[in-house]
Amino acid sequence: MTLMTRRELFTTTAAGLALTQCGRSPRAAGVSNVSIVKAPGYTMEVYDTVYRLVAEHKLNVRGKRIVLKPNLVEFDPNTAINTHPIVVHAAFEAFRKLGAAEVKIAEGPGHRRATLDLADAAGYFETVPRFEDAFTDLNLDSVTKRAILQPVSQLKSLYLPHTVLDCDLLVSLPKMKTHHWAGATLAMKNLFGLVPGGVYGWPKNVLHWAGIAESIVDLHHLFPRQFAIVDGIVGMEGNGPIQGTPKQAGVLVAGSDVAAVDATCCRIMGIDPARIEYLKLARGEQNLSERAFRQIGEPIQAVRTRFALIDPWRQMIQAG
Amino acid sequence: MTAQRTDWKNRQNRDGGWAYNKGCSWTEPTVLVLLAQSVTQVDSESFAAGLRFLRSTERVDGGWSPQPAVAESTWVTALVALLPEEAIGAQRLERALTWLEGQTGRESSWSFRLRQMIAGNEEKYPVGWPWFPGAAAWVIPTSLGILAFGRALSRGGNGKLRERVELGKEFLFSRMCADGGWNHGSNKALGRDGDSYPETTGIALAALHRGPVPAQIERAKTAARRHLATCRTAEGNAWLRMGLSAHGESVHSQSEPAPRTTIDAALIAIASAERNPLLS
Repeated sequence: MTLMTRRELFTTTAAGLALTQCGRSPRAAGVSNVSIVKAPGYTMEVYDTVYRLVAEHKLNVRGKRIVLKPNLVEFDPNTAINTHPIVVHAAFEAFRKLGAAEVKIAEGPGHRRATLDLADAAGYFETVPRFEDAFTDLNLDSVTKRAILQPVSQLKSLYLPHTVLDCDLLVSLPKMKTHHWAGATLAMKNLFGLVPGGVYGWPKNVLHWAGIAESIVDLHHLFPRQFAIVDGIVGMEGNGPIQGTPKQAGVLVAGSDVAAVDATCCRIMGIDPARIEYLKLARGEQNLSERAFRQIGEPIQAVRTRFALIDPWRQMIQAG
Repeated sequence: MTAQRTDWKNRQNRDGGWAYNKGCSWTEPTVLVLLAQSVTQVDSESFAAGLRFLRSTERVDGGWSPQPAVAESTWVTALVALLPEEAIGAQRLERALTWLEGQTGRESSWSFRLRQMIAGNEEKYPVGWPWFPGAAAWVIPTSLGILAFGRALSRGGNGKLRERVELGKEFLFSRMCADGGWNHGSNKALGRDGDSYPETTGIALAALHRGPVPAQIERAKTAARRHLATCRTAEGNAWLRMGLSAHGESVHSQSEPAPRTTIDAALIAIASAERNPLLS
């Protein structure tokens, strides 16, 4: 049997210590506004709904460069894997109408390399006029290395695409889905798509080794100017984010405090947000209670739609 | 053919490399365009500029990074090692192979295996290649590693390369999906079967073209044919055709998806060549 080298022994010990480390300081949180609106289907009404959602948060977007980051995962058009193109186009139009100087759509899928084909299959070319002019494949964009100054994960730095590093506001447009590794995938987990596959590969496995929940939080901290609109009109329950089944929730959820948006989505899905690791790391368990946010629009009870969860998540995160 | 040659030149960046679609030069599309030129018609000026780009981006450790802004050698080194020796140079090629020899998935490290042993996990982790140093082994980088080492062995490489090829094949078979094809390497998640993809099925089949043909190959060919009938991407279509033709099956799909990117166009040219430079 070959013995470990001193370096390997050190790495093993350090990794063990990192895994047991405690006392991570979550980002300070105040009272945040989170909007909930009913949206029964992917109709033309979504355009007006999304405009009102963005407008009521009084974002200063005039003259600013906006990047919309949808969730594009798979080709299957018969399920609810990808953010619906109408939601993306509605956000595109809303930010333009509110005076943004530039609105781009950008995504770096984690599994499929042919991003343009994927976007086409998801209906983006059909729905968004001149889609290719507005779109950047974040897997293949030019990159710069960014240090992570106070990492929560084991990452020290990440190469990140210029398109998102240079924008004034990053708008996460995820699908409301359950996730077999993270419990739920919403606006924060959607940031995995910012990490360039062209550098790290498909899937973006360095993030898994650094800790999925911790990497989500590090990415979240790297982009302090965010807004989120979660497509929960038809979400995905069960074995998400790919093999689950569509779940009609009929809702859009939005806000500038992305962790608060995700916590609200969890409540809508029947998941206890205090049991989702990345939300605890981002906000602290004490700042995830319903009272920590100011809900605008519909109350959670009016839109609550319990999403089916697979084991072991059913026991771990389902709200009582 | 002329249009194709002109197209390569028009898409070429000033630094001699090619982008995936638009923007800065990357190693992967640059290698694939050079290979595509080698099987269509070489534009000597464009080809030389492409090689100059690659020579200038070789890293001191003997590997290549995905693009010049990245200060880390990665999986693309295997692609460079698939260029003809006379084009990239014997010494560069040797350095690339040596760098690749030192790369394994993180699950093969002693530290990981020790932790698994302590945790009582007896699962075996066959040795493959990662996309990025420090990450796990996956299907595409392992397939390209096998192809690169297989090429070196055909020139008379050493026994270590042969051992890595065999280990790489073992890795691929261990990651085969229940449907007979491959995805990136997660054939199961939480006990549930994962679905295979066209491009990964094609590339894994291509990597398994040398040596004895185990029974699993027939299942893989069936999966490849099934994917080919519905594949929507030029990249997937090209790799499926390469994978099947590597096992003696000449395939012309009914409708080939149109290329959208430079690597799509390059892969179609390579897959359509009588003598595939990735497999020969």
